[in-house]
Amino acid sequence: MSPFQQFIEYSIVGIAAGGVYALIALGIVVIFKASRTFNFAMGEMMMLSAYFFYAASVTFALGPVIGMIVALIGSVAIALLIERVAIRPMLGRPFIAVVMVTFGIGSIIRGIVGMVWGPNEMQIPGILSRTPIMLGDIFVPGKTARAFAIAVVIVVVLIAYLRYSRAGVALRAAAADTITAYSMGIDVRRIIAFTWIVAAVTGCISGVLMANVNTLTPHLGLVALNVLAVVILGGMASIGGVLVAGFIIGWLEAITGLFLPTEFREITPYVLALVVLLVRPNGLFGSREVERI
Amino acid sequence: MAAVLEIKDLEVVYQGVIQALSSLSLQVPAGAIVALLGANGAGKTTTLKAVSNFLPLENGRVTRGSITIGGEDMLRLAPHQIVRRGIFHIREGRHVFSDMTVEENLVASTFAQRSPRPRRQAFDEVYAYFPILSQRRGQQAGYLSGGEQQMLAIGRALVADPQMILLDEPSLGLAPLIVHEIFEIIARINREKRVSMLLVEQNAVIALKYASYGYVIETGRTVLEGTTEKLSADRDIQKFYLGVEAHEAA
Repeated sequence: MSPFQQFIEYSIVGIAAGGVYALIALGIVVIFKASRTFNFAMGEMMMLSAYFFYAASVTFALGPVIGMIVALIGSVAIALLIERVAIRPMLGRPFIAVVMVTFGIGSIIRGIVGMVWGPNEMQIPGILSRTPIMLGDIFVPGKTARAFAIAVVIVVVLIAYLRYSRAGVALRAAAADTITAYSMGIDVRRIIAFTWIVAAVTGCISGVLMANVNTLTPHLGLVALNVLAVVILGGMASIGGVLVAGFIIGWLEAITGLFLPTEFREITPYVLALVVLLVRPNGLFGSREVERI
Repeated sequence: MAAVLEIKDLEVVYQGVIQALSSLSLQVPAGAIVALLGANGAGKTTTLKAVSNFLPLENGRVTRGSITIGGEDMLRLAPHQIVRRGIFHIREGRHVFSDMTVEENLVASTFAQRSPRPRRQAFDEVYAYFPILSQRRGQQAGYLSGGEQQMLAIGRALVADPQMILLDEPSLGLAPLIVHEIFEIIARINREKRVSMLLVEQNAVIALKYASYGYVIETGRTVLEGTTEKLSADRDIQKFYLGVEAHEAA
């Protein structure tokens, strides 16, 4: 295989991995837009969802379809619980206090999952086919390609929903101007709860996809820290930008893996985020909002 | 006529220490336009925010007094519930959603809609009052002129089909001709749709022209009230709010 072909192949695989990143990022950004809350527990929410899927489909042997439904319901319930019990009382408190709350919730979830399921790697039933996809001569691993397709479809559907639905208008209104949104009969607290539901759904799907492509461990959620880089790169306020940034990070990770030892893969997103912040403090596609972080 | 809105002996405190209103009372009868006059910082906007219950969002609190609408206590309701009771607050500075289109701004207001009429019909009514908005319905609201943004802000109120509009400084930053045009439409809405208005306005000349009754507030309390004819004839009002010198008025 020529170096060029190898480069293309790594690029495609990387971009494919980026689809799931974009899905996670969308969950983070939707919450941020509505309430200026940076949800550090996103990674743990997706990891917990994957365990819900495991419990329902393997432990209780209900199969992958019921497993997915249980995981979705469980994720939404947990997200609403977090919003109601931990986030809503923090409304109007300093940004950093709310960040620490979400950070703490993440640790609690990680701890509980460790206690219930233990620290070992687990295999969840393969819901994605392994059959590789051939793009001409280029080989794309089957699971990665299918995870990408699912992630992109869900991201596009969600973005279109937020763009064109009445709920989307309410979300954008609440994001732009809380008091004016209230003045038009929009219950901003309900909108915020709604964004947590959106985050639960994207987190659940990305969690199950990630656990399928890799394996299931309590550290599955750590990937969300890479997504943090995605989100900064995309500019917190821009939903469309997150999609592109997800692909860029995925691509960059793969390309780093091609030229540098694997250890570098872990740090590339952060280095890139740092450089972007130095050059464009509002992110690649962002507007003024990012300075609040 | 029965009062729609009744405020009695209202005291408002910001951040636990700053007293914005000390003892404010006023009434808005059904179908009337009532003007609230006063200098900067007198508490006019705070009064409107108290009615809409925006104060907790700005670290303020009603510490004494009552606000009732048709006899119902407003102080227990959340802002979105108050607007659904038919009290629509058009904020100072218009606050259109600048990234959204004109029509999306109207869609946002459908959450406050009280009547069962279809949305489309409500929008068409807005476009009939403001034909220019109809031409711009697909444009981003941020690109509208100041006057058009004020029209959109009023249009959002119309979508909700309110019984009363709290109107905060509709003339702010607008050219005199546009101000006149907007007030003519406000008067028409008041007349044709029987919507009462509580109007806060720096421009006392125009406020006294269109309102039937007025209150003057100073440092958080009502100091003078009366029909607008009576207020227009008042020496102090002429001197401090209408810019008429005493000898000219004599």
